[in-house]
Amino acid sequence: MAPIRLSKSVFGTLRVKPNHTLPIRQRCLYHSYEHDQPPPFPEAESSILSAAMRHVPDHGFTNAALKFGARDAGYLDVSTNLLPRGVFDLINYHLVTQRLALKDSVQFPTEGQVEGKAMGVGAKVRALTLARLRANGPIIHRWQEALAIMAQPTYAPASVAELARLADEIWFLAADTSVDSSWYTKRASLSALYAASDVFMTQDTSKDFIETEQFFDARLKDVSRMGSFMGAVGEWVGYTGHSAVNVLRSKGVRI
Amino acid sequence: MNDLMSLGIHRLWKDHFVRNLNPGRNPLTSSSSSEKGWNILDIAGGTGDIAFRMLDHASTINNDAHTKVTVADINPDMLAEGRKRALETPYARSPRLDFIEANAEKLDMIPDASIDLYTVAFGIRNFTHKEAAIREAYRVLKPGGVFACMEFSKVNNSLFDAVYKRWSFSAIPLIGQVVAGDRDSYQYLVESIERFPSQTEFRDMIKDAGFLVPGQGWEDLTGGIAAIHKGVKPA
Repeated sequence: MAPIRLSKSVFGTLRVKPNHTLPIRQRCLYHSYEHDQPPPFPEAESSILSAAMRHVPDHGFTNAALKFGARDAGYLDVSTNLLPRGVFDLINYHLVTQRLALKDSVQFPTEGQVEGKAMGVGAKVRALTLARLRANGPIIHRWQEALAIMAQPTYAPASVAELARLADEIWFLAADTSVDSSWYTKRASLSALYAASDVFMTQDTSKDFIETEQFFDARLKDVSRMGSFMGAVGEWVGYTGHSAVNVLRSKGVRI
Repeated sequence: MNDLMSLGIHRLWKDHFVRNLNPGRNPLTSSSSSEKGWNILDIAGGTGDIAFRMLDHASTINNDAHTKVTVADINPDMLAEGRKRALETPYARSPRLDFIEANAEKLDMIPDASIDLYTVAFGIRNFTHKEAAIREAYRVLKPGGVFACMEFSKVNNSLFDAVYKRWSFSAIPLIGQVVAGDRDSYQYLVESIERFPSQTEFRDMIKDAGFLVPGQGWEDLTGGIAAIHKGVKPA
């Protein structure tokens, strides 16, 4: 009973506080998504890289594309030295801009306005992930090159970090509110799913990448089956462990 | 002498420096034929170390037979050494290589906005007015042109720094005395390295001159013994 009374008294003191403290409280509630974020790349880099992206379908993720981009943006060949990681900066630009574009390109109907039930978190995640995969469509014939560069030991940590940010962005946009350990497992499993589908898509010749969609759905099913299996295993391990400890305690072992 | 003092590592640095700048305009992947090759100015490059590497890279990697390097040095003896060494390269009597005697703080013979790439390798440390030299670099570079500087810098790891300090203050003057018979010059060398600004300070000097710096602004070589600083003139 004591903690409840305590919390009541705390709330009570909050409530009797005069009104002028309210703006201070509101100022403390900062949500980054309610504010405009600074652009992810400086202006000069951004102009070279966005111009270079237009040359990727023809020239791939190469220095040639970067040099053409620099020329188009009014710079010189030598100006590509502005990008310390060279071609990887071009790939990174694609990854970051496509991740940030996700929040504008995929719109969900707001709850209450649609007939029937609102989209679940799972359906939203599926829609967002497929939208992100489709964003690679125009350059998919060059994407294997990019994956090879991303897998180089120098760039692998940055690539994995970007994949984690993408998974986080998707779960956030899907309005996932989990605050337990599933926060991690959700992001980890989505990262794995996305990476697998991304590689599958580079060899997908079906119309509108319908096979990639099927592949993704099948993996999604695997994950949910795997998830319930892992849950059961965890429960069993926990129960057995507790029992073993208790048996030992009953024998007088001090644990 | 340089090989003895740096255990040969200065060659690796120079190769890396040139490879990263990737000089030369590949005729196979460039559409407009209006401009051929880069116009490179190598300051304090009397002996031609950087210049020959630039031309080799442009010719063999980028199939570019037009890129031109102007080597400038304040010291005529160094230029004479460079001219002598140039005779062993294919560029000695070609219009692609030029030697001029010039002070980096006052490059009056070089017109404004005429240079693609301005390099200075292990030279800027000895300039009296570094800011003036950087401003002069900004003037001669075309918009979009690159200022690239390789220079001794500050070691990041304190343990490695202790070893490196021991080497530079004890061994290098001794090597100078034994091999070149000139202890004082090499004592000056290590002291000038010690006095040169740190990576961040020098990066800010480049920024203050109006350059855009890529990423963090520098790249450490061998734990920070040397560092490559770059700046791009905004277009």
